[in-house]
Amino acid sequence: MAKSDDCIHILQGLLVFGNVVIGMCGIALAAECIYFVSDPHGLHSLLKATENDDIYAAAWIGIFVGFALFALSILGIVGVIKPSRTLLLVYIILMLITFAFEMASCITAATHRDFLTPNLFLKQMLERYQKSEPANSNGNEVTKTWDKLMIQNHCCGVLGPSDWQEYTSAFRLTHSDADYPWPRKCCVVDAQGLPVNLDGCKLGVPGYYNSNGCYNAISGPVNAHVWGVAWFGFAILCWTFCVLLGTMFYWSGIEY
Amino acid sequence: HPHSRPRHPGARTMLPLLLLLLPAAHGIVELGYTPALTKSPRLEGLTTTSTFVLEQPRCVFEGYNNADIWLVVALDKAASTFNNTAGPGTPETAFQGFPDSVPAYMTLNATLANYPCPKPAGDITVLRVGSETSCAQDVARPTCNGPLPGPGPYRVKFLALEGSEPVAETAWSAPIMLRTAKSPSSISTMDSGHSAGMIALTTILSILFAILLAGLVAMLVFWGSDSCGGSSTFSKPESVTVRRYNTHHVYDQPSGRL
Repeated sequence: MAKSDDCIHILQGLLVFGNVVIGMCGIALAAECIYFVSDPHGLHSLLKATENDDIYAAAWIGIFVGFALFALSILGIVGVIKPSRTLLLVYIILMLITFAFEMASCITAATHRDFLTPNLFLKQMLERYQKSEPANSNGNEVTKTWDKLMIQNHCCGVLGPSDWQEYTSAFRLTHSDADYPWPRKCCVVDAQGLPVNLDGCKLGVPGYYNSNGCYNAISGPVNAHVWGVAWFGFAILCWTFCVLLGTMFYWSGIEY
Repeated sequence: HPHSRPRHPGARTMLPLLLLLLPAAHGIVELGYTPALTKSPRLEGLTTTSTFVLEQPRCVFEGYNNADIWLVVALDKAASTFNNTAGPGTPETAFQGFPDSVPAYMTLNATLANYPCPKPAGDITVLRVGSETSCAQDVARPTCNGPLPGPGPYRVKFLALEGSEPVAETAWSAPIMLRTAKSPSSISTMDSGHSAGMIALTTILSILFAILLAGLVAMLVFWGSDSCGGSSTFSKPESVTVRRYNTHHVYDQPSGRL
């Protein structure tokens, strides 16, 4: 009898510990997803223009799932300590629903990350950068975001300045190739924001223009975002799976 | 004076030689220089869709202090038919007619003072052909260095004129091909496969969820039945503690009372 009691107490202890970890991870997930939704790198408008901003939807789901996990973990701890069949049944069912939502969030984030290839951004940039549409805010957003990106990260185009030479673009329609082989934002600028040497920039002399592509500056934050949402969520779900199995086992052993 | 060759003292004896050379001479010296695209430093914009960058002809036209050095740009197939006596700034060599009515145009007028020799180390000495956009449509500027109208191929050479007489020329360059721009709709964005990580994540999560659902179903089906959980059932801790009842009012009596 004592041994069985010990087993029960160990199981209770494990379940309480498991729920504490779930609660803390839930808060961490919610905080992390709030950080991503706040878009510190200003890439949301770029992704929205490519109509591939579902990784933000995944982050929004992550916020709610995180808080739900925290609340449910408290319910779980109470249900285990009491112990109460009703409470634990409610806990298990709600946890399964939360599990399903978090699963959707992880899979969405991971899947949509695969769509964000250099070619996608290249095509969007060529078609929308400096597109002169009077009443279209979509085009202006892309232009502003790319300008900010190129100036802050000292880069040009997606793969390099030659993107503007290898393909025709909306930019090329309004800016002649001889005067603007690539946008002025690709030039190295001085403190006032003017190109240090405009002829050197137009010729492509090393040191007067930005020769790197901006894809790394885009994919870095996006990858961090996706790793944070998808893979951290996956880890939480694996842990939750174990805790839920243990809870189910515990529940079936409670006698009314 | 049209001729720049110095007169030798023995001019008479050279007369037969002169006669032999007459068909080829016309007073033009063939300089052994071939114009070429700039090799150093490496320029990103060496060729664009409408411009290209040539090395300046430094230390090539030595001695031609009074000559105007012109750049002749021609389509590859028209290079061999170019007539050196064609004058710059005329409708036959105007940039604005290139390439439909004008097979070769002349531009980038310079003198030897523009190309000092030797070239100072560290200086970037280039000629950007096609950089003037303001005069591309202006027929009043036939020597405009306007953007090239197509991908080419083009050939160039330098021609030195004194007055209107050609006196020296370089060889024709190798054919120069410019870049051609493709349409962005040719970029394929559909070929991205799914990464292994995403497939593993989806598979594992689906399996875990399926197991949990099966567990829930098993739980509900066997609700309350002792068939599976009999040996490990445990009770709620009692809220009432068992007290030991004294069934008889037995008091510890001193043995003397009885």
